[in-house]
Order: sequence, then C-alpha cells, then structure tokens
Amino acid sequence: MNLSCQSCGAQLVVADTLRTASCPYCAAPSVVERPPSRDRPPPTFALGFVQTPRKAQELARQNLLRRSFWAPSSVRNASVEELRGIYVPAWLYSALAESEFSATIGENYTETETYTTTENGRTVTKTRQVTRTEWRPLEGRHAEYIPDVIVTASSGLPNEELEQVEPFDLRGLRRYDDALVAGWISEEPSLPQEQCLEQARAEVQGLLKQRLAAFMPGDSHRNLSYSTRFHQEALVVCLLPVWVLALRHDPKAPPLRFLVNGQTGKVYGRVPVSWVKVSLAVLLALLVVGALFLLLKSR
Amino acid sequence: MPSVEPQCQRCHSRLEAEDLRCPVCALPTPRAPRPSVDRERARLIRCNNCGAAIAYSVEAQAPKCAYCASEMHTETQEDPIDQAEHFVPFEVSPEQAHEALAAFLGKGGFFRPSDLASRAALDSLKPMWWPGWEFDAKVEATWTADTDAGSHRSDWAPHAGASQFVLHNILVSASRGLTLSETQQLSPLYDVAKAKPEPVGPPGAQVELFDVTRSGARRQILAAVESMAREQIARTELPGRRHRNLRVAAALSGLDTSHYALPAYVLAYRFKKKLYRVVVHGQRMDCVLGEKPVSWGKIVVTALVALALLVIVFMLIQAS
Ligand SMILES: [Zn+2]
Ligand SMILES: [Zn+2]
Repeated sequence: MNLSCQSCGAQLVVADTLRTASCPYCAAPSVVERPPSRDRPPPTFALGFVQTPRKAQELARQNLLRRSFWAPSSVRNASVEELRGIYVPAWLYSALAESEFSATIGENYTETETYTTTENGRTVTKTRQVTRTEWRPLEGRHAEYIPDVIVTASSGLPNEELEQVEPFDLRGLRRYDDALVAGWISEEPSLPQEQCLEQARAEVQGLLKQRLAAFMPGDSHRNLSYSTRFHQEALVVCLLPVWVLALRHDPKAPPLRFLVNGQTGKVYGRVPVSWVKVSLAVLLALLVVGALFLLLKSR
Repeated sequence: MPSVEPQCQRCHSRLEAEDLRCPVCALPTPRAPRPSVDRERARLIRCNNCGAAIAYSVEAQAPKCAYCASEMHTETQEDPIDQAEHFVPFEVSPEQAHEALAAFLGKGGFFRPSDLASRAALDSLKPMWWPGWEFDAKVEATWTADTDAGSHRSDWAPHAGASQFVLHNILVSASRGLTLSETQQLSPLYDVAKAKPEPVGPPGAQVELFDVTRSGARRQILAAVESMAREQIARTELPGRRHRNLRVAAALSGLDTSHYALPAYVLAYRFKKKLYRVVVHGQRMDCVLGEKPVSWGKIVVTALVALALLVIVFMLIQAS
C-alpha cells in the first residue's frame, strides 16, 4: 500500500499488517489509519512500554546466562543482533460464565473396625479407627464474571509464546491513542476474530476447571463434569508492549529469539542444549557408576 | 472529553467518568465516537505545543515531543482518593453530648465507683464526621456447602444452591479514628436521608478524610459484599443446623456507592487521673459507647463476702 509522508511528502510503503511506519527520508513517525473491519477493529486499549531497550537487553542476557549450563558455551558471548519494540495486538475478553456442574463428593467418616492379630504366639482380637469415604452425588450451578482473559491476535506471536511473558498489569491500561504507538512498530490484528473468541472461551474453560474444583464441598471429589454458557461476552483489541530480541551466539546457527514483556520485564526464550555437554555428562556419570561398582566388587 | 455512560451496560453498576472498565465486571466503557476513516491514510501525531511530530517515549512513559519536551496526556485508569459528597447533619449539640455522657456515667451498674458521675471531669469533646461508604447492590450467589441435613454414615452431606438478594443502604466504615466495633454500633442509627451536600454542625467540627484510593475502596466494598453474602447464605439458605466448607461465587450487579461523612462526638473524661474515651452518636443522644472504670474496692468486698459465705456453708455441712 502506498501512502505519503505528511512531513516530507515521500512515498511510504507500509505492510498491510502494520499500523505504523517511519519515513525512510525524514524519519517522521506516521500512524496508519484504515477503515475498520470485523477482524480488524480499531484498538480499544494499549499498555505503554515501561522497560527501556537497554533494560530489555540486560534482562534477556541475564536470563540466558542463568539458564546456560547445558547450552553450548558460545551462548555466554551471545550478542544482540536485533532488538525491536512491538505493540502486539491481543484480544481482551470478559464474560459472565454460568456453569452447570455435577460431581461425586466424598464425605469422610471414621469407623471402628475389629481385627485379629498374633501377639506373643496367641491370637487376639483388637479394634482400630479407620477413615472411610462415603460418596454422594451433587449437582449445582456456578456463576461468576471472568474479567481479564488475553489471547493473541497476531499470527506472528503464537498464544503459547504470549502466555510465557504474561501476566500484564492491566491496572496500567490506557485508552488507545495513536500517539501511544507513534515511533514504534505496531501490528494490526492478523487472526480472525472468531478463532480468537474460541481460543478465549477455551482458556476460560481451563480456568473454570480449577475454579470449580475449589468450589466443591466435602473432603474430596471425583467425576466433576460441567457445561458452561457464556453471557454478555465482550471482546476488544488491546495492544501489548513486547520486546523481541535476536541473540546471535554462533555464526552458523540461527539466532535465538527472546521475548521480554515491555511492561513487567518478564523474559521468555528457548536456550539450545549442547549435545556434546550432555553426552560428556552421561559418560562421566557412567564412569563414576562403573568405578564404584568395580570398587565394591573387589572387596 | 469522552462521553461515558454513567452505568455499566453489562452489570448496571455505576461508573465514574474516568473509568476505562467497569470495576465489577470489567466491561470496557464506551468511548467517544471517533471520526470514521473511509480510506487508508498515514498521519503524523503533532505536538500541541510546537507542532513537531511526536512519538511515544519509554523514558517518560508518555508520548513526548523530542523538540520542546512537552508530554501528551493519554487517558488512563485514574485512581484518585474520593472525598465525602454527602454530609449527615449533627442533631445533637455539644451540650447534649455532655449531658449524654453524664447520663451514661450515672447509669453505673453495681461494680462502678459510686462517685463516678460526680467526680468524672470532662477532658475533651470533639465533634467530627467520620468517613463511610454507603452502597446498594444486587448479588446473584451460587454456593456449595456440607451440612448435617440428609447425612448418612458421615456427619456431612453435600448441598448446592443459588440465591439472589438485594443489599440496600449498607454502610462500610473507612474511618481510622473510630474502631470497627464503634462504627458498627453507630451505623444503623443514622438517618442518611437527611444528608446535605455541605457540612452542618457545631463550629470546629472536624471532617476525617477518606485516605483510601478509589480502587482500594472498591476492593473493600467488594469484600464487604462477599462477606455479607456468605453470612446471609449461612443464616437463611443452608438446610440443617451445622455447616462447613461454605463456598460462594457471587456475581454483583447494580453496585452504587456513595461517600458519606457521618457525625459523632468523641469525648474523653478523667477519673482518678486516668483518661477514658466515649463516643456519642451525632444524631441520637441515647447512643453512647465507651469505657467506664470499675471499682476494685467493690469487687474485692464482693469476692470476700462470697468467700465468707462459702466457708460458712462448708462449715455447716461439716457440722451436720
Ligand atoms: Zn459491569
Ligand atoms: Zn514540540
């Protein structure tokens, strides 16, 4: 798509998935406005970046070093090849979740049991207290508001990865304003809304499993099953600040991708495993076991 | 300014103008409609001060102009400390409060010193308004619990249910000057319908300020609603006589909170060099809370008499 820079009039080439652009001639930071659609409504909220680029690099490198024991030694000298602050679009979901549940509830009771045993060569009858469980069926309803479910709206950042840098502190929420993303990379939602809605509902189902387990009375429970209806669902786009880093440690290997939560500083990244180190460790362990075995045998 | 609905569209709770989301159910509040975009265009965000292009600054945590360093305001969740908007007027004068103290001390009781009313000297009498929230809410509660109703071999049987109730004119104290037990005894006797937008009372009456932010206040109010819901369910909904493991899930609606200032007198009197504290209701002089000294002389004499009686009874039994 071709647009022109309001500052110098030069042609701006803006990818369809981006909301911002910076002019290649005058560096002026533009924000692109597009007619909204169902899968791409204008953002409602944004969380601003709090972590500076320097802090993000530091956090990522510290995290890598802390977890580098099994990694190739080259990661200790990893350098930041690329660092980009991205406003990642996500859907913020909330609803009233109403579940019908049924479960079998265990209520404990104690019983006095008689048993026979041999004492000093004679058979004697004794009693003891045993705890038994009585199982009773229970059906009921559970209703509550589910406030803050976040699912990614970006095909570039899968939900599993976003979850690794969650939670975000939603008390810092701001009403979206173009000025909040000016000068930064900001993506447009790239996943269909319907798919994200299903994802959000699935996440609530998972959450409700824990909530309902804690809701059960009795000393224990089993066979908990439930069906949930969602009322008054709300789904709005919220832009989340994420630092994306490429750490180069080996010129021949692909760089490591690290994510840093731009608000809280939480880090996520996969550290490669050095098979040489692992094999050496296994060999060493085998040697020690073998030596011990021989030592014991020779006695 | 954006036009914000005064009420949440989902749970009908009252919203403040600055709310981005409903404090009860988290529904985003509607924003002012923006001019519709019919074709794609690139826009520069300009500084209100000097007109240069503006960008978000992570250091300032706000959009900031690189040339004149002025920052741009964006709408965020405000968390101010709200102050009282309704003042319940004093209907007891300082003289009446003093009289109420005298009546309170005169009512004695056997173990009180007999010269208490005559020798107690008033040390201070301070009229004050203490801060409290008053709220209305509807609660849809679902619950489970074990009770003794329908139990077989175990003492307990599981039960589940749903109920809804309306909480109306509930007062929650935000006062640091008065104790929880004092505010709980004063609260039911206020006629809040008489509240005025301005303080009306004796000269020099202090207004104790709220010192909790809006979000903190909402947390305290929600906690109060939850505990009231639990109490209500335990009292009226559960079958049987005993219960355990009461679990409540509550969905609130129509939460409406007001900030009140409630009148009271805090008095101190001196008796035999010691200070005692008394609180007199600002609208009802028959409501007096406080401490009174006990007469140790009377207690010792009573104990001695009781002991002597016991000894006599014992000796009588022995003798027979
Ligand atoms: Zn609401
Ligand atoms: Zn400027």
